[in-house]
Amino acid sequence: MSNTYLDQFPAEAKVVRAAFYSSFFALAIGGLFGIVQTLHRTDVYRFMDSADYYTVLTAHGVLLAITFTIFFLVGVFTWAVTTSLDRGVENLRFTWAWYGLMVIGTAMAAIPIFAGFTDSIDMSASVLFTFYAPLQGHPLFYLGLVLFVVGTWLAGVDWFRSWRAWKAEHPDERIPLPTFMVLTTTIMWYIATLGVAAAILLFLLPWSLGLIESVNPLLTRTLFWFFGHPVVYFWLMPTYMMWYVMLPKFSGGKLFSDPLARVVFVLFLILSVPTGIHHQYLDPGIAEGFKFIAMTNTMFLLLPSLLTAFTVVASMEHGARQRGGTGYFGWLKALPWRDPVFTGMALAGLMFAAAGFSGMVNAGMNINYLVHNTFWVVGHFHLTVGTAVALTFMAVTYWFLPQITGKALWSRPVALVQVVLWFVGMTFMSNAMHRAGLLGVPRRTAEPQYEGVTFEAAVGSVGELNAQIALGGVILTISLVLFFANVIATGFNGRSDELPSNGYADALSGPEDAPLVLDNLKLWTAIAIVLVIFAYTFPLLSIVQRGGLFGPEVITFPVSLESLAPIAAALEYGGLATVDGVASAVTGALEPGRIAIAEVVR
Amino acid sequence: MNVHTYEKLWLIAAMVLIVGFIATITYGSVGLGIAMVGDQQETVEPTELADDERFGEPRVEQIGDDEYEVYVVAQTFSFQPDPIEVPENSQVTFHVTARDVIHSFSLAGTNVNTMVIPGEVAEMTVEFDDPEVYGVVCNEYCGPDHHNMEGQVHVVPEDEFDLTEVSVDAPDEVDAGESATVDVTVENRMLDGLETTAELEIGGETSVEEVALEGGEATEVTFTVDPETLEADDSDVEWAVTVDDHEERGTVTVIDAGDEDGGDDGGETDE
Amino acid sequence: MSQSIDESTQTTEIGHDEYDPVGTLALIGLYFLILVALWIFVYFVEFLGNDPTVVTGSALLLAGVGHR
Ligand code: HEM
Ligand SMILES: [Cu+2]
Ligand SMILES: [Cu+2]
Repeated sequence: MSNTYLDQFPAEAKVVRAAFYSSFFALAIGGLFGIVQTLHRTDVYRFMDSADYYTVLTAHGVLLAITFTIFFLVGVFTWAVTTSLDRGVENLRFTWAWYGLMVIGTAMAAIPIFAGFTDSIDMSASVLFTFYAPLQGHPLFYLGLVLFVVGTWLAGVDWFRSWRAWKAEHPDERIPLPTFMVLTTTIMWYIATLGVAAAILLFLLPWSLGLIESVNPLLTRTLFWFFGHPVVYFWLMPTYMMWYVMLPKFSGGKLFSDPLARVVFVLFLILSVPTGIHHQYLDPGIAEGFKFIAMTNTMFLLLPSLLTAFTVVASMEHGARQRGGTGYFGWLKALPWRDPVFTGMALAGLMFAAAGFSGMVNAGMNINYLVHNTFWVVGHFHLTVGTAVALTFMAVTYWFLPQITGKALWSRPVALVQVVLWFVGMTFMSNAMHRAGLLGVPRRTAEPQYEGVTFEAAVGSVGELNAQIALGGVILTISLVLFFANVIATGFNGRSDELPSNGYADALSGPEDAPLVLDNLKLWTAIAIVLVIFAYTFPLLSIVQRGGLFGPEVITFPVSLESLAPIAAALEYGGLATVDGVASAVTGALEPGRIAIAEVVR
Repeated sequence: MNVHTYEKLWLIAAMVLIVGFIATITYGSVGLGIAMVGDQQETVEPTELADDERFGEPRVEQIGDDEYEVYVVAQTFSFQPDPIEVPENSQVTFHVTARDVIHSFSLAGTNVNTMVIPGEVAEMTVEFDDPEVYGVVCNEYCGPDHHNMEGQVHVVPEDEFDLTEVSVDAPDEVDAGESATVDVTVENRMLDGLETTAELEIGGETSVEEVALEGGEATEVTFTVDPETLEADDSDVEWAVTVDDHEERGTVTVIDAGDEDGGDDGGETDE
Repeated sequence: MSQSIDESTQTTEIGHDEYDPVGTLALIGLYFLILVALWIFVYFVEFLGNDPTVVTGSALLLAGVGHR
């Protein structure tokens, strides 16, 4: 008899399965749109009107960046909590309820998006996944997004309930690492989604319903990015979880350090949100000083990712050495490269290392003039969410599928080809996108072929870049087809009794080495909130003071920006300095210098 | 908590990277003077741009010897003015706002790039050294025709650059045997004086008037055209007014006596 | 069948104290060098070489760098 997740938690396995299948459904449609827009943009093959391109792009963005990723992660998180606490959900009906709410929300948002393809229905939401006002979508679109997010909130409640119930029975135990990761991520998500909830409920939804006349475009945009940056960590943190708790196991080793994994997740919790303004470096109406503060926070947010790189590679190396690997680089050969789960995740990690670089460029304030809204950015996030996250999710699916269906995977060789093809396709597509961006080729454009604008390449040509992008897109599409073939064919397999057991990796340095304070979620939540307040109060007040709450009519707030900005900066770093652990010493030492710089720059 | 020595090393290296990045950016800002688009400018009412002091008339304005200000309005799906013409070796400050939705104003292949948000004004100061044509794109999705939103910035040689406005007031029709008056208004929007000529070519004859203007001044030059000059084989007589490289063209219809609707001056062209 | 780690391929058991991730240090050191080199290239060649650039209104600070 095997001891899969399905054997342990048959009812929960069904929820996880439903979440995964929803996620794959979004991936299928989103991916189809991906290749359509790739061929259209590059002028390789156009079959639709260019105006419809933006409807396709909206669907691609929403379905992949929101639906695919989040449905998958609620599945993973439910698995992680139940497995690591070794207890089922508290109330199965409640679990199905939040899943249902997410499905309804998705459907509601999808209706107006897809109605954009036909003129016969007077409804559309071709506003892209950023829905910047004054572009206005159908109210159903906003309402759907709200329901979807509320669904995720309730999912969070579910995980917290499990943890509290567990804690009552195990008062003196450390929070198991997977659950710790779920809880910190959830708290981060609660804070982050306040921004988009405010944008939609206070402004965009009433506005689309005609209840209010106008909105302040800079305000709703800023609220969007309050959410829009941390949402990338909502995708990334489950990915990191897989790298921390699963990859070592697939490598044949142990997690190098449980305490550092906790430090990393705490850093994400407190630093993810007060950085969103880095998406607005080129926005008029936001003072340079605020942009500088956002940049500093963003740069420090590199730390948890850089730490992750070390811990994860060291865990893989541990596995390799246990498998007999030797030398400085020779150990790499001892890794299980024939295993699609391992290989997919390792390649995803490698791509993330590359993405790290373009992300560092994106984080830089003035260099943003070079890359902002160019194709560079699209290249960047196809490495992050489009590969680090998506490829990890696809690879780990090959492990999860047997766990949640009780059926053996249809074909491991096909799976291996699939993950390698994704890596190759994305290498072509994303590299060429980065290069095109450096020439100034804009993103989000159906026909980047202009009458009076030329993009000059020092090396190669725009034609060559387009060819690589189209080739990459085709390879990616083939990879997707193989993925779905495997998922579907596995569904037709019979039940198997020889499946691996459910479980995750042990740690070399376990939770007993982690300071207790790391598990003090209240403390970290408080610090996160304080940092957000410091980072956002003054920019938001300033935006409202300038442009008005509901639009360009100015409402006067008794606040003088000039005098408050330095105080904000000071408080901000005061707050940062209280962060326990690794970052504090250096941050503290740099503090006066950075405040001074922020002053000068203003 | 025991952290492995190697990981401590990496931690230090990571901090060095982070601090190095911040230092580079700071060097760009402080050392090289690269400024961010910020909140320097007052907000505007997007619905009342037509009456706005800054944006009522999208234009290029000279404010110092080699200093210019450009007021640009982005709207679905074009930029005004287009093309924008400025001289080489100049320091140009762009002020860009949006009439409707969010756009961008981005000179392709340069570091001149900003979001354009209704209600807000993006201010960017740029130095243009050599003559060149820059393509301008909107890189923020703004509606179904977003991909057709483009413009140009022409940086022209100094001797080809002026801010001269020429408008001509000429009659559409004159009665045969009468003389016609053509009024040419020349405005010099540069700070320096302008010495040039206004030339009228009509019916194969050319007359030239000297124009001398202080900076910011406008003047009117009047040409009187003899009846003989208007005696063409055709009743439509073509004319052209040239001031430097500005040219205005039109036709005057000569009406035989007895024809009813006698012509008064109605034709007015503006450049 | 989809057993990911074949336990039999594990030849040794390496504990916490006997494990030094030298390979990781080597790889990540390499990564560090690549990052520094790429950063310098993208900032100083791609970005600063992509003039004109937005400068502070009054001061002509960029002269010298801005000129090719
Ligand atoms: C078959 C694979 C894929 C292809 C060929 C593809 C292609 C593209 C292209 C060409 C664009 C740029 C469109 C433009 O800016 O004009 C784009 C945008 C985007 N893609 Fe993909 N993509 C793929 C997979 C993914 C995946 C897996 C994700 C995320 C999980 C993703 C997320 C996004 C997002 C968020 C955008 C931006 C949408 C926007 O600007 O509003 N893509 N994709
Ligand atoms: Cu971000
Ligand atoms: Cu546009």
